[in-house]
Amino acid sequence: MLDDADDKPCALSRRGFLGGASAAGAALPLVAEAATKPRTGRSVAAPDARAPAQVTLRVNGTDHPLSLDTRTTLLDALREKVGLTGSKKGCDHGQCGACTVHVDGKRVLSCLTLAVMVADKPVTTIEGLARPDGRLHPMQQAFIDRDAFQCGYCTPGQIMSAIACINEGHAKTHSDIREYMSGNLCRCAAYPNIVAAVKQARDVKEG
Amino acid sequence: MSVEAPAATGNMGEPHPRFDARLKVTGGARYASDMPVDNPAYAYLVTSAIARGRIVSINLGEAQNVPGVLHIMTHENTSKDVKDSKLFSDGGFSGTSIIPLQSDKVWHDGQIVAVVVAETYEAAREAGYRVKIEYEAEQPSATFESNGVQVQAAADVKKTHEDPKVGDFDGAFASAEVKVDATYFTPTQHHNPIELFTTTCAWAGDKLTVYEPSQTMYGMKNGIASQLGIEPEQVRVVSNFVGGAFGSKGSLTPRTALTAIAARRVGRPVKLVATRQQGFTIATYRAETKQRVRLGASRDGKLTALSHEGWEVTSRPDNYMVAGTDATTRMYDVANVQSKVSIVHADRNTPGFMRSPPELPYMFGLESAIDELAYALDIDPIELRRKNDTMKEPIKGLPYTSRSVMQCFDEGAKSFGWSKREPKPGSMRDGDWLVGLGCAMSCYPTQMAPSSARVRLSQNGELRVETASHEIGNGAYTVIGQIAAERLGVPYEKVSVVLGDSDYPAAPVSGGSITTASVCNCVAEACDAIRAELGINDPKGDVLAALKSRGRGAIERYAEWTPKGVPDGALAKLYSGQAMPTGGTKDKERIMFAFGAEFIEVRVHQRTREIRVPRIVGAFAAGRIVNPRTARSQLMGGLIWGVSSALHEATEIDKRAARYVNKDLAEYLVPVNADIDQLEVFMIPEEDHEVNPLGIKGIGELGNVGTNAAVANAVYHATGKRIRDLPIRLETLLA
Ligand code: FES
Ligand code: FES
Repeated sequence: MLDDADDKPCALSRRGFLGGASAAGAALPLVAEAATKPRTGRSVAAPDARAPAQVTLRVNGTDHPLSLDTRTTLLDALREKVGLTGSKKGCDHGQCGACTVHVDGKRVLSCLTLAVMVADKPVTTIEGLARPDGRLHPMQQAFIDRDAFQCGYCTPGQIMSAIACINEGHAKTHSDIREYMSGNLCRCAAYPNIVAAVKQARDVKEG
Repeated sequence: MSVEAPAATGNMGEPHPRFDARLKVTGGARYASDMPVDNPAYAYLVTSAIARGRIVSINLGEAQNVPGVLHIMTHENTSKDVKDSKLFSDGGFSGTSIIPLQSDKVWHDGQIVAVVVAETYEAAREAGYRVKIEYEAEQPSATFESNGVQVQAAADVKKTHEDPKVGDFDGAFASAEVKVDATYFTPTQHHNPIELFTTTCAWAGDKLTVYEPSQTMYGMKNGIASQLGIEPEQVRVVSNFVGGAFGSKGSLTPRTALTAIAARRVGRPVKLVATRQQGFTIATYRAETKQRVRLGASRDGKLTALSHEGWEVTSRPDNYMVAGTDATTRMYDVANVQSKVSIVHADRNTPGFMRSPPELPYMFGLESAIDELAYALDIDPIELRRKNDTMKEPIKGLPYTSRSVMQCFDEGAKSFGWSKREPKPGSMRDGDWLVGLGCAMSCYPTQMAPSSARVRLSQNGELRVETASHEIGNGAYTVIGQIAAERLGVPYEKVSVVLGDSDYPAAPVSGGSITTASVCNCVAEACDAIRAELGINDPKGDVLAALKSRGRGAIERYAEWTPKGVPDGALAKLYSGQAMPTGGTKDKERIMFAFGAEFIEVRVHQRTREIRVPRIVGAFAAGRIVNPRTARSQLMGGLIWGVSSALHEATEIDKRAARYVNKDLAEYLVPVNADIDQLEVFMIPEEDHEVNPLGIKGIGELGNVGTNAAVANAVYHATGKRIRDLPIRLETLLA
């Protein structure tokens, strides 16, 4: 099935479309996008699911032109191709929050985001928070002051989530913070200290 | 100073911020899978779909056709490559004696049956799914009560195992005025550190570098060498940061050797990041236990008889056990004691140590039973413990080096407001919520192992400490640096510490809460040698001035430290990967434990039976606390783990297929931020110079021992329902 869809240009029949999509599950959104394009002419060439995509990721203000397997997640692209390993893989399934980054200023799970989907959007990772002169973001400082981590593995995701949590207006109360930080697991269980850090950074921002 | 950084009192050290804090908040801390290697290939594991049987055929055709696939390992081409896999408890390094890909045999669900190596992770994963395997399945045995399990007495399978006993339990129990006889269950649990099980292997000629998160640099180095049939000198293991371990990274898993073999075959570095799901079966876990506890007491609350029997699941080939009766038979003053541990072999992966391995399950049984006895006697549970408190363990009559358990109870009770508790179950309410207050005792054996370290003081004031110990969230960088700074009178800011590299002097496995006591005592010894060389014996004397006045550029000392009571040759053993811990109940003349008291408030909704934990209070006495800030965090994490083990965590097993069914972080429940509310930690100053020169007891595991019982006791107080089978869930209380 895959060979059919891949090698020969063929009409986008229902059979071909489903075959390609089910064989390479992760490529689904791309194919789906192609399928929704208005059909002009008699037939549309099926995209070659195996051809690498040329994408430029804009991460922390720097452009990174990359050639990627279309199934590559934003997380893997950052870690394996761009060399920014601050964003962590804890589950690859959107269950732990360790991979949280900002896309367009909003918190996003980079393991559930294909890299090709964010090609023209600004991405901010944990490495992009401190000032060039080394001064830490108030949230980073708050995490240090409140000892809001132990092993530190969930920390980049916690900090990216925490900043977004304040920006979203979800850090007004103790219970709001606990609720809106609950997408980020911390197995070391630094939770009370994370809440204290979010409050400290919030108050610095407001004060 | 803030709640998070409690001021130093008594003999505590300063609450310095973590040495590695900046790296951890900037993404600069490099965990094993973050280490850059040149042109890596990517590995993906294929794991078995049955728990018992054999592989009949493997069809690699489709997998090999996936563009980018470089190599596929199966038992057909890898059966002879791994030389051995001796269990660490038998003097080896492994967490399992099962060697995957050695034959067509399948020992357990999720056993590695193939390894695909490809140009990209995506191609390796796709090819992994295209490996077609046919099995001949046999009916597996899943757990207790399954057909085909094999039960053995621990004493029959392990020469060194003792079932503590003293006096005449049967007689004393028969004639006891008040009795408790209850059976408890604790579930299968998986460590689930947020960092996955990763391995990157890179060969340069015949030299291998392994980047893998590990709690045992020298265990890995020696273990991998023996598995591959090469010399330990050919192996370097690097793991500067570990993203949580909790025991899961303390012994060798089969994936390491397989990744090394893959890298050798494809002629370039290979990187493996096992999936969360695979992590449940390619490493170890906490096995489920069943325990029967019998207590006999006089009417006035004096314990007269105690029996603790435990059954633990293990794999078919391995005799792994935690045997927590070693501790539970020694916690109270009672003249007639018996105990017995048995293991139950099933078709499962081999279990291993998980945070507070023996005490977490076994203290649940004991501390639940003590609460049951308090109700049977109509005595306050804290007063019952006070009545049976002791400074001597009952089995051999050995003295505790220190035991401040009642101080912990008193301090904790005061802050928790225990005196306002109405003892009658179901008697405290707040609107629709039934309120329950419960408590339990915590304990953890104080253990230490031989260690080595190198310390170097330079004339510019910089102090560097090198040792192959491990930063697993325990604050190792911080406390090790702090002790060196203190000992030589150098500012903390001038210290650098390097850990997690087998090129440095050997340190023991970071398990059993031994790191701070073992490594810090060694570092102190190296610092003292520097002082001695400079002739500065006054602890306030200026070593730096002395160094300069002697015209020295730097002075460096390597030290080897052995705790009292370890056999000769222990340092050589350390360098060959064996930790040889001592202390706890191993000492011939005294017994060493840290203690604590935990208090839990639960609220159970009277209609829905939803369970919340609005308050957690823990008070602990663990000898000298080197850094109250990092210590508080670790104890806090432990307390939350305890709540988790009571209310959240359980790996569910399909008993027909002997397979785990909730193998991910959505289905394997751990607490999230919203589950935890108010939490207080008290550290009771305690001086104990018998345990080791610095008087450090270790705290990594203390926080979660007993907490599960405190929760269950609180649930009983709220509802009148005694739950003896963890975890306690809404549906348990509705039933
Ligand atoms: S790695 Fe993305 S949510 Fe866990
Ligand atoms: S700090 Fe270890 S998982 Fe959060």
